This record gives sequence, structure tokens and C-alpha cells, in this order.
Amino acid sequence: MHFLKILQNEHIKIYKKTGTWIIIGILVTLLLGFAMLQKYVLDNGDQSNWRNQAEARIAQMEEGMERGPDIEAGREAMGKEIAIQQYRLDNDLPPVAADSLWGFMIDATNFTAIATLFTIVIAAGIVASEFSTGTIKLLLIRPVRRGKILLAKFITTMMFALFMLILLFGFSYIIGLAFFGSTGSQLPYLTYTGGEVVEKHMAGHIISLIGFRSIEIIMMATVAFMISTIFRSSSLAIGFSIFLMFTGPQIVQLLSQYDWVKFVLFANTNLMQYVDGTPVVEGMTMSFSIVVLLIYFFVFLVSSWVIFKQRDVAV
Amino acid sequence: MTQPIAQIINVKKSIGNTPIIHGITLDIYPGEVFGFLGPNGAGKTTMIRMLVGLMKMSEGEIYIQGHHIQRDFEKAIAHVGGIIENPEMYSYLTGLENLKHYARLTPKDIPKKRLEEIIKLVGLEKRIHEKVKGYSLGMRQRLGIAQALLHSPSLLILDEPTNGLDPAGIREIRQYIRRIAHEENLAVFVSSHLLSEMQLMCDRIGIIQHGRLIRVEKIQDLVSKDIDLTVELKASPIEKAFQLLNDRSWHPKKKGSWIELTVSEEEKIPELAELLISNQVKLYQIYSNVQTLEDTFLELTREES
Repeated sequence: MHFLKILQNEHIKIYKKTGTWIIIGILVTLLLGFAMLQKYVLDNGDQSNWRNQAEARIAQMEEGMERGPDIEAGREAMGKEIAIQQYRLDNDLPPVAADSLWGFMIDATNFTAIATLFTIVIAAGIVASEFSTGTIKLLLIRPVRRGKILLAKFITTMMFALFMLILLFGFSYIIGLAFFGSTGSQLPYLTYTGGEVVEKHMAGHIISLIGFRSIEIIMMATVAFMISTIFRSSSLAIGFSIFLMFTGPQIVQLLSQYDWVKFVLFANTNLMQYVDGTPVVEGMTMSFSIVVLLIYFFVFLVSSWVIFKQRDVAV
Repeated sequence: MTQPIAQIINVKKSIGNTPIIHGITLDIYPGEVFGFLGPNGAGKTTMIRMLVGLMKMSEGEIYIQGHHIQRDFEKAIAHVGGIIENPEMYSYLTGLENLKHYARLTPKDIPKKRLEEIIKLVGLEKRIHEKVKGYSLGMRQRLGIAQALLHSPSLLILDEPTNGLDPAGIREIRQYIRRIAHEENLAVFVSSHLLSEMQLMCDRIGIIQHGRLIRVEKIQDLVSKDIDLTVELKASPIEKAFQLLNDRSWHPKKKGSWIELTVSEEEKIPELAELLISNQVKLYQIYSNVQTLEDTFLELTREES
């Protein structure tokens, strides 16, 4: 399969760069630093009186329910919370402590933002750097259509995103185990579905957390890839994508009273809003968001492809 | 007549509204080194980029081994190897890794033996495992030639191949280009603005100016347009030499300690030497001045503008 060789080339070009390994090193170092912070610096409180805390929480929620929240969704969330806390008390299941393996891994899923950042850097460079170094000329005078080269580069970017997520999960497990041991690792994750509390495996919960976050990685990497292909500038692609990544969700929140906001990319990237939260615009559903995301995804890819194919290479 | 390897048929290119190439038609044949000569900005690089499919022509057709460069890109380009301007490589990879990278982009398998052969040919055996970062310009140029020849193309395109090389390197590349063209029956398309270089390297030359091909000629025809040779000589005693030449109507002119005269053909030069020597004149130096391509080139482009 000739395409596999092209794919191999693109992988070699990424992993032979020192910068890539620095990125990976930074990710691991940040995880280590966070683990040390969690273990030696932060005070995580006493976990032994979790029962009292759970009871207090239930009382607080019930009081809130009586006062009657204005929004239906708020009432529902409180109901779920009460059910889960009650289940803990009934079945003697303490909540996950921050300085335990699962607690650390759950917190570490927030590092997907950093993984996204690094994936943007790679996506922004993969096409633009061939232009800025001039290597694009020798790359495109081979018996391979331009579309194939671009596809190989895109797949390589996605593989890198996946690699970052696997690293994140793998290292947060290893570091978590090394720092906090395996105590409490038998604790299940409690979720409220279909009117009752269900016990699920914690690792599955963490993977699904990362899975939801990966949508953002894929979309942001695709944006960076598109800008990199169209403008042939990796710094522009990095700058613009990171700017969007940080401001996009905020702007969407600000404008959430307008109905059209639901068609904006950033109103849809966070699918967690349908699992435990409220959608940005009322009436949005998971399947609506998936369709919007797919449309954006293909528009980004097709525009990269059209531009890359048509372009006169004059570097 | 043999089949041309590349056919360029009335190719035009405009960028925006500015026409860059105004209709170039040209055939390139196997076994020849074709020199594409023109001042900077004449459109050489644009033409070469269209020839390898990096740019699209606005009008006209280009066929390589009968395959259209745009409509049948993969088949056409499979016969082409080249360096476009500087041989830019991945500096963080070694020379060998770079070559392997290009080898993987060819659908047919390139055996290890071929790689070794090419590396030896360009004389990079000792440094091939080093990163390209540390290569000199000459070494990069040679690695560039290696990647261009890897898949045994029938058309080799070299855009300013001697750019940045020292005289020894230039000579080496020149000899090498001539050898592969003639031995392997390869068509070589070389562009340059260095006229003296082209004169020594090419069989045929096309002169491009302002996007037009103003002349295509065999190198001999282009160089020997002017058959009068200017001869300069240094002899002692100079007065006696001058007298001798004057008596036999060679029409000598004195130029300091030199005597200058014009002869109609090369055969006259030994005749001249014999005359002086047999009359006990000491002959120190004698040389003839062929009109160079440079003169022709300047003349041609002057006419045009």
C-alpha cells in the first residue's frame, strides 16, 4: 500500500523533530508537577467525615428545592444530586478524594486543554512548515497526487491528537498510581440515568471524559490545519486557533440569548453540556450538535483540499 | 528524429493580469543537455515550475513521455527528477533519511542497492548518516541531485544547479551532468543565468527574455557565429615580430607589449607561430579569443530590447 508509506513519511517528519519530544516532555512534566502539588502542597481536607458532608449537601439541596428554582433544569440537577448523595450514604460509598488515583486522573482530564494546544502547534506546522522551508517543492514533484499528500498530513495530525490523549491517560494513570497508590480504586462512578442511580466503572468514566474533550481537540486541530494550508503560515495558524479556543466558548456564552448562536462551532464543541449540564441555547440536542460539528469538519477539510490542490507553488 | 521526452506547446502563464510567459514552444530530446538561459526575471523559474506541475499553465500543453503534466500528473511526473532552485531538504533528518523519504514517495520500490549506488555516485558515502543541518551548500546540492536521480527519471530538471558551489564543485557537477545525459540517454534541462557555465555544459541552448524564447540553437552554431578570431601574442623582439607580420599582410596592431591581429580561421594560428619562430623571434605567449556565448547572448538580448 503506497499510501501507508506516505503516512510513514509524515510520521517520521513529526517524530524526528526535537520540538515534538519537548512538547511530550512538557505534558509529562506538567502532570508530574500537578501530582506533587496535589500530594504535598494542597490541603484536601479530611475525608473521614464524608457522611456528614453528604447529609449537609442533601439538606442544602432540599432546602433549595423548596424555595423553588425558576428553571426546570436546575430543579432536575438538584434531584439527581440528592439521589446520588443518598445512594452514597445507603451503600457506604465515599466520594473520590482528589489525592487518590481516580481523583487525580479525573482532575488530569483538564489537561486535555494542554494536549489541544500542542496538537494545534503540530497541525499548524505540518503544511506551513513545508512551505516556509521550501521542502514543499521536492515533496510535490513526486508521482503522488496533492490530495493524497494532504490527506496523509491530516491523518497524521489526528494520530498525533490521539497519541497525546493516550499519553495523557497513560501517564496520569502511572503517575497517579506512583503518587497515590491504588487505595479507593474499587470505588465506582455514580450516575443517575433513567430515574435511578447506576454504578459504573471509574476508568470508563475517565475515558468518556477524555472522549468528550477529544471533540475539541479534533475541531481545533482541523481549524489550525485549514489555516495552515490556506495561509501557509504556522504562526498565524497557531495564534488564530488558540485565540479561538480561548475566546470562542466565552463569546458563545455572552451571546447565548440569540438563537442563531447554536450554529456557531463553539456552541457545539462541548458535548458534555448534554450529559451533565445545560445546553448553551435552549432546545439544542446532542444529535443537533453532532450534525453541526460534522458539517464544520467537512467544510474545513474541503476548503483546505481545494486550496492545496489549486495552489501555484512559488516559494 | 527521436521522440522528444518533453514537449512544451505554446505555454502561456499570467499571474493576476500580468503575463509572465508569452507562449513558449519547445521539445527536449533524450541524450541532450538543454540549457535554458536568461537574465533574472525572464521567466525561467516560472517555466520550470510549470514543467514539473508546481504551477498551472494559463494556456498551452506540456507532455512528458506523452503524458499531460496536469491531466495525467502522476504518470508524467514519474519520469521527472529535479531540483527547483535551492535543494531544500529536511535539515533535522540525515542525508539517508531524506533520500529514503523521497524513495517512499515513488510507487515502485527503490532497492537498497540503488540508494547505495546513487550515494556513491554523488560522493556522499562518508557523510550520509549525518544530519543535513551540518551539510555545506555543495553537499546539499549533491544530495539534491541524488534525490532527483533516485527513481531513474528520463528527464532531469536542474534549476541553477551550480548556485553557491565553488569552482571545483561546479566542474564536478558539470562533468557529472554531461556524463549521465550521454551515457544514460537522459534529457537534462538546466536553467542558468551564468552564460560561461552553460557554454561548457549544454548541447543546445534556448535563450529566454521577457517570457519569450527568442532563440534556440545548438551550442556550436551559437558560439561560432563569428568566425573571425582575435589573436594576441607576446614575442621578443617585438619590433621584429611586428615587421614580419606587417610584411606578410597580417595587419598587426600594437597594444603595449602585445601584438593583436585577426585571423579568419583557427588553422592560421600555427602558421603564424611558425613564421615567427623560423625567423628567430622568441614567442612567449599566444592565445586566440573566440567570441563567447556571453557576447552572443548580450548581442541577442540587446537586439530584442
